[in-house]
Order: sequence, then structure tokens, then C-alpha cells
Amino acid sequence: MSVIKTVNLVKIYSDGAVPVPAVRGVDLQVEPGEFVAIMGPSGSGKSTLVHMLGGLDTRTSGEIWLDEKRVDTLSESAWALLRRKKVGFVFQFFNLVANMTVADNVELPALLAGASPRDARERRQSLLGALNLTERADAAPGQLSGGEQQRVALARALANQPSVLLADEPTGNLDSRNTRDVLRLLSDVHKDGQTIVMVTHDARVAALADRLVSLFDGAIVDDGRIARRRTGTAGEVIDLR
Amino acid sequence: MRLHLLALLAKEPAHGYELKQALEQTFGSAYPSPNIGQIYVTLGRLEKDGLVRAVDVEQSNRPNKKVYYLTAKGRDVLTTWVDEPTEGPRVRDEFFMKLVLAPLTGIADRMALINRQRRHYLSLMSDLNDLLSRTAPADSVAVLLIEGAMLHLQADLDWLARCQEDLA
Amino acid sequence: MSTARAGSRWIRADLRARRGQALLTVLAVAGIVAALITAVTLLEDGTNPWRSLFAQTDGAHVWFYTKDSPQVALGGIDGVTQTAGPYRSAPVTVVQDGKKEPAALRAMPTTPPRVAHPVVAEGRWLDPAQSDGVVVERSFARALRLKLGDAFSIIALSGERHTLYVRGIADSAEQGFYPEWTPGLAWVLPATLDRIEPMLGRSEWVTGLRLADPDATQVVSQRVVVMLEDQLQRVYTWREVRAAMELDNRLLGTLLALFGVVGLVAAALALANAAGGRVLGQLRDLATLKSMGFTRGQLALLLLVEHGALGLLGVGVGTLAGWAVTVAVLGTTSVAPVPVLAIVGGTALTVLAAVGVPAWRGGRTPPIPGAPAAPPRGHLSRLARLGLLVRLPPALVLGTRDAFTRRLPAFLTAFGLAVPMMMITIGLGVWATLDNFLSHPEQVGQHASLYVRPGKLEAADAQRIAESDRAVQSVYAGTDVNALAPGAARSVRVRAIGSSADPYPFPVVEGRMYGQPGEAVAGQGLLNLLGARIGDRIRLTVGGSPLIVRIVGRTVEPDLDGEVLSVGLDSLAAKDSVPPEFYALALRQGADPGEVRDRLLATSGESLDVQRVVNPADRLSVIRVVIVALIAVLALIGLANLLTASALGLRDHAFDLAVLKAMGLTPRQVMATLVTGTGLLVVLGIVAGTAAGASVVTGLIDLQGYTSGVGAGIGRPPSVLTLIVAVLVAVGAALAVALIPARRAARAQVPVTSR
Repeated sequence: MSVIKTVNLVKIYSDGAVPVPAVRGVDLQVEPGEFVAIMGPSGSGKSTLVHMLGGLDTRTSGEIWLDEKRVDTLSESAWALLRRKKVGFVFQFFNLVANMTVADNVELPALLAGASPRDARERRQSLLGALNLTERADAAPGQLSGGEQQRVALARALANQPSVLLADEPTGNLDSRNTRDVLRLLSDVHKDGQTIVMVTHDARVAALADRLVSLFDGAIVDDGRIARRRTGTAGEVIDLR
Repeated sequence: MRLHLLALLAKEPAHGYELKQALEQTFGSAYPSPNIGQIYVTLGRLEKDGLVRAVDVEQSNRPNKKVYYLTAKGRDVLTTWVDEPTEGPRVRDEFFMKLVLAPLTGIADRMALINRQRRHYLSLMSDLNDLLSRTAPADSVAVLLIEGAMLHLQADLDWLARCQEDLA
Repeated sequence: MSTARAGSRWIRADLRARRGQALLTVLAVAGIVAALITAVTLLEDGTNPWRSLFAQTDGAHVWFYTKDSPQVALGGIDGVTQTAGPYRSAPVTVVQDGKKEPAALRAMPTTPPRVAHPVVAEGRWLDPAQSDGVVVERSFARALRLKLGDAFSIIALSGERHTLYVRGIADSAEQGFYPEWTPGLAWVLPATLDRIEPMLGRSEWVTGLRLADPDATQVVSQRVVVMLEDQLQRVYTWREVRAAMELDNRLLGTLLALFGVVGLVAAALALANAAGGRVLGQLRDLATLKSMGFTRGQLALLLLVEHGALGLLGVGVGTLAGWAVTVAVLGTTSVAPVPVLAIVGGTALTVLAAVGVPAWRGGRTPPIPGAPAAPPRGHLSRLARLGLLVRLPPALVLGTRDAFTRRLPAFLTAFGLAVPMMMITIGLGVWATLDNFLSHPEQVGQHASLYVRPGKLEAADAQRIAESDRAVQSVYAGTDVNALAPGAARSVRVRAIGSSADPYPFPVVEGRMYGQPGEAVAGQGLLNLLGARIGDRIRLTVGGSPLIVRIVGRTVEPDLDGEVLSVGLDSLAAKDSVPPEFYALALRQGADPGEVRDRLLATSGESLDVQRVVNPADRLSVIRVVIVALIAVLALIGLANLLTASALGLRDHAFDLAVLKAMGLTPRQVMATLVTGTGLLVVLGIVAGTAAGASVVTGLIDLQGYTSGVGAGIGRPPSVLTLIVAVLVAVGAALAVALIPARRAARAQVPVTSR
């Protein structure tokens, strides 16, 4: 039983004079608890693919299955309702409602999904506590560092314990220290069994994944597991002379 | 390893086992632990070249141990090493040779080579991630070394992507 | 120089990037200016018809009457450019519907003269082929209800009757309107006049002078007086004609000034909102420009130039449009330059002032955009908890929160809608007041709708005939006399009507009705004139005999600027009150005064003189046009404010919407959130504006009534139903407008790039 399954998924942008194919025939299957990294050069269709998986973009043809239900035929509104419970989304930018406090941002999805205010507050407290952001609960997103913002964004995306967490370059504009914070959070979430599909070009982030899908020109050119060898030292990689 | 040992001796005279401990302490888990025999062999060569001087120290109920001192010549060599700029890593990449040559022979296809190599690099990266998570954040020498390795790997992966775009 | 070039390039790029918004700003300002100009010009034309008539007829500035044709070279007087006439003019009496009206029959040639030529409005000019043709001046024709082809029966001084036929109806700027200016005017061919009035001694000669400088009338008329000496009968100038034609437009003037000022304020608010919104949106650009080396002053100037240019362009376009409209309606000659220039200057200044503040604020942008301020704490938590406890839809909760997050813009939006809405409410109040004049004339002192004068009959017969008509409810005998007040260098009207025991039902708004002889009620104008208060005893002189009365109340008095004292007939000396001069007839509910009038005339064999009362609302009907025009302007201003607000809201939310969508807000909910956000402010502004308007409207109208002498007590607020409908229409329109951008935003793609 897979969380996500796509069959011959195609996306063609036809806004301009010439139709531009962005995704051409992707077959992808993601099992529960799996962490899939999607890599590829820019313009290879990675972002389009995850946006379609989350219903933020419509497919041109093909099928999308989420939790064994066909979802590509859903209306925009039905997708929205589905997202509340089953899909958490993290973008590179603008993950938080700018004029709401951190606490409000994290509570909002739970409230939307119909949780009682008390439940929403409790879940927010536990999530922010796990992120060591409890004391920033009343801050504006703009007052947080980039890494803190992205961690809050992850908390927001995970607030409803979604079936799958979709992330589009979540560390794209973070420096290495902030990236490290987000990495630690992602790896912890994954260890707790969260299914994750993530677009990234950051090898450190991709290396957290169990599986690497390489896109090239809108098609999957490689799909395989990332082996773990448990070597001892950095010396295996770098020769210190 | 010659110059590493010279540098340690410049701080204070030491015997072979102390040098091994000092190396391990400084680099921590990031660096492969040196073999004690190899250290003694290296010290012997340094002594022969006149860069270090060995003095026997008597020990009660134990064999004498040799304590090594840095000579003036040894200090000169060390100074020269520190002063001159260090060469960066050179591309002496075996994979690149495979990538260029293999398709000519028809043994392998470039895309497959690149993909396999990418996953290999990522698994190295994942090891480094594990290593990093096992290293105490206070051990800054080790952390820096690991992050250096990661950035080199990232560069290799980026280069791989360039190869894919232009060759495949 | 270099910064000017760089700045102009930036402005160009910025305007190109926001073409739609720039266009909207221009159009909003243009619309406001055009509407103001149109309203003012039409109003000016409506209340001061002299100017356009004078222009159309190439009128003469000075008119004088002589016994004989003047034999001196009047054209030689300094400053006189052309002369009209002399025309021969004979006094006649026109008999129409049993009424006799005084008229002057003017001889004029077949080809109208170049100066002071009547402009034919209907029918044709005189033609020698039809020697019994007459052209009647328009106000005279209207008063006599003459149509083309109607018979025009006249009695010459000799007593001889002639019948002419109306060939044309024409406008003239030569004299005021009938019946304010008598005698009425009609033109015939010289030969026709010779036939009707062969005696030269019974006629006079009329000459008009057109001057190079209209202000030179004083000098010129003195010269005429000197040159003609005892030949001269009388002289008058264009000033008297204009004064006679002018409506009492103080009410209109005040109303228009009020609307104009508030309209300008509202327009300024709209523009400031728009420019402020743009500057907010440009903060990043401005910071970049500053880091590139623009100084604070240069930046402020740049913004002032950019937004000011848009505003001034709007003023220009609006002026052209307004001018075009008025020319289309009234013709080129009749556009009054002074008010138009005032409007153009006023709006241009307002535009610059309105744009100046945001420009100055923009100039103070720090080179590095500061961190956004902390949002107000716990807003969602409190509201959401409350909202979600009662299971409110999340869109409503979010939208409500949005509406009040940025307090200043929220306030400006609500205020920007409240001001036009308040003015609209006031306009509706004026409308309601006029309606009230019409539907309840007794509340403005017009309980009686017909006045009967005995004419040829005995007073008692007249009263009997009036009382016997089935539609007449009651008959009040009355007499108007002029009385001299001590201290006042002029006479005032004393209206004696009904008896003190059975008084005419004046609308007494202060004090009480008179109840015995020696008591009186007065209009506000009279109280002001005499400096008297209710309860004062005043002494007047009526035809030599004293009249001492105590003023016991104040009435609403629409006649003679309120300078009327009303008493019972028995308060007047018998020599003044017997027989009564007229009978005021109050009709039964639903009776048509026109029918009753015809019936009375028929019963009396055309011997009675029966007049209908002119309702003040009829004279003020031009106000209604003004109200409609101003409501349109105000609606436009409100619309501009609203569009700015929703554009701002959208800009603030473009990125938040992506998050909300990713969280699972449906497009409909996104739309609802946006619409709720602006809609709440809209409702708030509109309701507040309506409430404010409704609370001040009666006071304002009463104040106006007080200053015009009619007196307070005439103001009526718009009916609750009208207000509810107005609010609903405004809110509905506003929501519809807010819906369009919200809809587009809801369908928009999720932005993935950095801003």
C-alpha cells in the first residue's frame, strides 16, 4: 500500500505561444515511511512534480493516487479539503502568514481541519516545544531567522500529522548553520515514520533520504536507494596530506 | 605525516606514543587513527635527516624510552612548510576518465555512470551526516573537517550535474 | 540632471509595470473633476440663466426707454461698440384664460438685429407674409401657457381688441422673467404694431447699448442720462436683469459648496490612499534607489512627480471631459469660467497635497527595509477561539482578523468610504426635505393650495362661490399689507389671514399659534430683520395707523426670505381688512388644484382671479439634478477608495495566500477571506457614514433654513427605508467590486519565487 502513486503523469504549460512540457510521463510510487529526495538540474520539472502531488498545480494527463485514492480528478476545492488532513507543504519562501504570530501560524492548520481550539493549542505547544521555539510563540515570522522560520514552517506543515510531507527546496535560501537545524528536524521527523517527498539540490539534505529520484528534462532518469556504509572517518572522503 | 609530527614536536618534546595520542586528540574521529609503528618509522627517518634529535630517558622497571626534540634544521623545514601556500585539491578524478572513455568502448552508458556515481556520493554524504551527528558540536576541529568534506562532496555533485547536462 | 534622468527612467518603468493601476488613478481623478465641473456649470446655468442667455443673444449691456426715438448719436459714446434699436414698444393687455396680463409689444424687423436679438426656441421668427404673427418671450409664454399657433388676444390702450397668433417662442436677455419682471414681452413686425397702436404718443422707444467693458455701465448710463435729459423714461443695466433672473440660490450655493468641499476632501483621501498604497508597495524599490545614491529629498520629489503627474493628468482629462459635457448640453458660450477655474485649481492643489504626504513618507524610507513590526498579540487566538466555538467558517474568522491587523489603512479605508456615504445621506436628506415640501405643503406654510381674488366680483360672492365648491375644505379670508417697521428702512409684509379664534394653520415650529387679536407669528427672516424674539411686542405702521402685536411663535415661512408677519384678520384695522383682498382655499385630501381652479373659473364666469400656489420645491427642482450628479461623484470616489483598499489588501496577501492554499483553504474560502477582509471595513465605513449623515442632515438643512430666513424646522432625514436601501446598495456594490480581484487572487498560481 503506497502513500503516493503516479501513473504516466504529464504536465504541459501552454500559456505561451509554444507549449512547454515540464513533466513528461512520471511513474512514481512512495511507500509509507519513505523519505524520497528528488534532484535534478533547474528546469527539470521537480517543483512542478511536487506541486502536482499536492494539488497546487493541475496535471495535463496521467493519474495521481494518494492513500490509494485517485485524486487527480478532484476539483480545486476538494484538493484543498484533502490537503488539510493528508498533505503538509513547505516551500522555499513564504511559508508563514506574515501578519500572524508564530503560534497562530502553527495553530491555523489544525483549526482549519476542525480541531478544537484547545487541541490546536496543545498541539502547537508540543510542536514548538520540540523545536525549542516556545519562547518565540508570540513573535512575528519576520522577526525570526531564516532557519527558525523554516522550522516553524515544518511545524505548521506537520500540525495535522499529514500522510505525506511535501517540501520544495526547504533549505534553498538558508546558510549552513540554519540548514543544519532544519536537517536535524527533518531527520527526526523521518525517524518517527513520517513519509517525506522533497525537492532539493542540497546534497546534505538529499543524503538524509532513503531514496533518490533524479529528474532530467521532465522524466525520471534514475530511481534508487541511497546506500549507507557506516564508514568511520572523514578520511575516507578527503585525503589529509 | 612527517610535517604533522614536526609541528607537534615544535610545541614540546615528546615520545612516540604521546605523539599518537596528540594526533588523535586534535583530529578526533574525523581522521583515521595513525598506526604507532608508522609513527616510529617516520620519526626514524626524521632523525636520519637531522630534523629531530632522540634522547634516551631511563625508566625504572621499564625499557628506556626515546624522547624526540625538534632540531634547528627541523624548525626551518617546518617554517618553510607553514609559510608556503598550500595547493588546492587537484582534479585527478578517476570517475571523469570513466565518464569520458567508457562510452567510446560501448561498455557503459554515461547516464547510468552519472546516476550510479551520484548515489555513491550521496551515500558518502549520508555517512558524513551520520558522522556529524555522532560528533560532539564542541569538537570544532572534527566538525570543520566533516563540513569541509561535505562541501567538497557537494561540489563533486554539482560538477556531476554539469557533466550530465553537457555530456549525457 | 543625472538623477533627473535616472528618476524619469524609474518612473517610466514603474508606470509601465502598473499600467492598470495608474489608469485607474487617472480615471478616478478625472471622473471627480468632470463631475464637479458638470455639476457646477449646470447648476450655475440653472440658477443664473442670464449669462448664457446674454451670450446667446449677444445681449446689450444698457437698456433705456425714451418718449420719442432718440435723435442723438448714442453709438459715439466712449465704450459703446454696438447699439440695438431703437425699437418702438407699446403697452397692451393680454387676455388669456380670463386673466389679464400686462405686456409690451415690441416692433422688430424681419431680420433680427446683430445685437440683442431674441433667440427662437420654438417655432419661427416673424414673417411679413403673416402679419398677425407674434413671437412671445419664453417665460411670458410659459406663464400664459401659450403654445405655438395659440391665439394671442390683446387689448390696446384704446380698448380695441386684436387677436394675433403665436408663431414663435424666443429667449431674450433684455429683461427678467415674467412674472417677476413685468410687463411681459412679445415681438411683432413694425407694420403690425402700427396697426394695433397707431398713436405714436402711446408708445415708447427702447434702445440697447452693447459695451466693450461690461463694468463701464455706470459711466455709459450717466452719459445717456445727460444726453437725453427729459426725453429719457428709464434706464437699466445688465446687472438688474441678471439679479432679476437669478433664483434664490443661497440654499443651492451652500449645498454645492458643502458638497464640493467634502467631495474634494474625499477625492484627496482617495488619492492619498492610492499614492500611499503604491508607496507602501514600492518600499523595496525605494530602498534600492536610496542605496544607489538618491537623497531623501530627491526620492520624495520623484514620488511627488510620479503620483502628482497622474493626478494632474486626471485633472486635465476631467476638465476636458467636464467641458465637453457642458458644451454638449449648454453650448460653447455658456460655460462659466470662474467656477471651472476654481475647481481645476482646487483639485490640482488637493492632488499635490494629497500626494505630498505619502511622497514625504516614501522619502524617509531607510535604505535597508526594516523588519516588519510584530503583529498584535493573540488576535487570532482570541477571535478564532470565539469564532470556532460557535462554528464560524474559518474564512470569516481569517478575514475579520485581516481587516483589523493594519489599523491605519483599515481606518483610512473605512473613513474613505464613510465620508462619501455621509454626503450621500445628506443629499438624500435634502431630497427627502424637498419631497416633504411637495407632499406636505402645509408644513411649509402652504396649507392652502389656491388663492382666489374677487376680481370683478364682490368679495362676498367670491367667498360664496369658493365655499360652495365640493373640493374646498375651508376658506380663509385674508389681506396682505405692507407695514413700516421703526428702525428698518423698509417695509415688511403683514399677512392677515383667518381669524384669531380660527387661525390659518401655519406651521408653528417655536412658541405657539396666535389665539387672540394682537398676537402674531413671524418667519425667521422677520425676527432677524427686527432683532425680535418670540414674546416681544412690536410696533408697526400700516397705512398710517399703528399695528402693535406680540409675537407668540415662529412659523416656517418660504415667502419673501421669511420676512413676513402673520396675524389674524381681526388684528388689523377694519379699513385694511374689509373687504378681504383674497381667499385662501384649503382643498380636501386628493383634490386636484388645477381642476378646482378651472371649476371656480367656470362657475364665476371667468370673473374670479384664481392662482395656484407655487411650491418652493418646484423652484428648487434643479437641486435634484445636482444631488444625482453629486451622488455619482461620491460613488466614484468611494469606488476609487475601495479599489485601492482591495488592491492593497491583495498585495499584502499575495504570499499569505500561497500559505493558506497549501494549508488547505479552498479557492472559495480564499475569496471569502479577502472579501470579508475588505467587506467588514466597507460595512463599517458605510454604516458609520450613513449614521453620521443621518444625524447631521436635519441640523444642516435647518441651519440652511435659518440663514435663508425660512427658519429651522424644515429639515427631514431620509426615511429609514431609503437609508436601508442606500446602505444595502452601497455595500452590495462594494462587495461586488471587491469580489473581482479576490476571485482572480483565489485562482492565481502559488508564487514560488522570492519577492
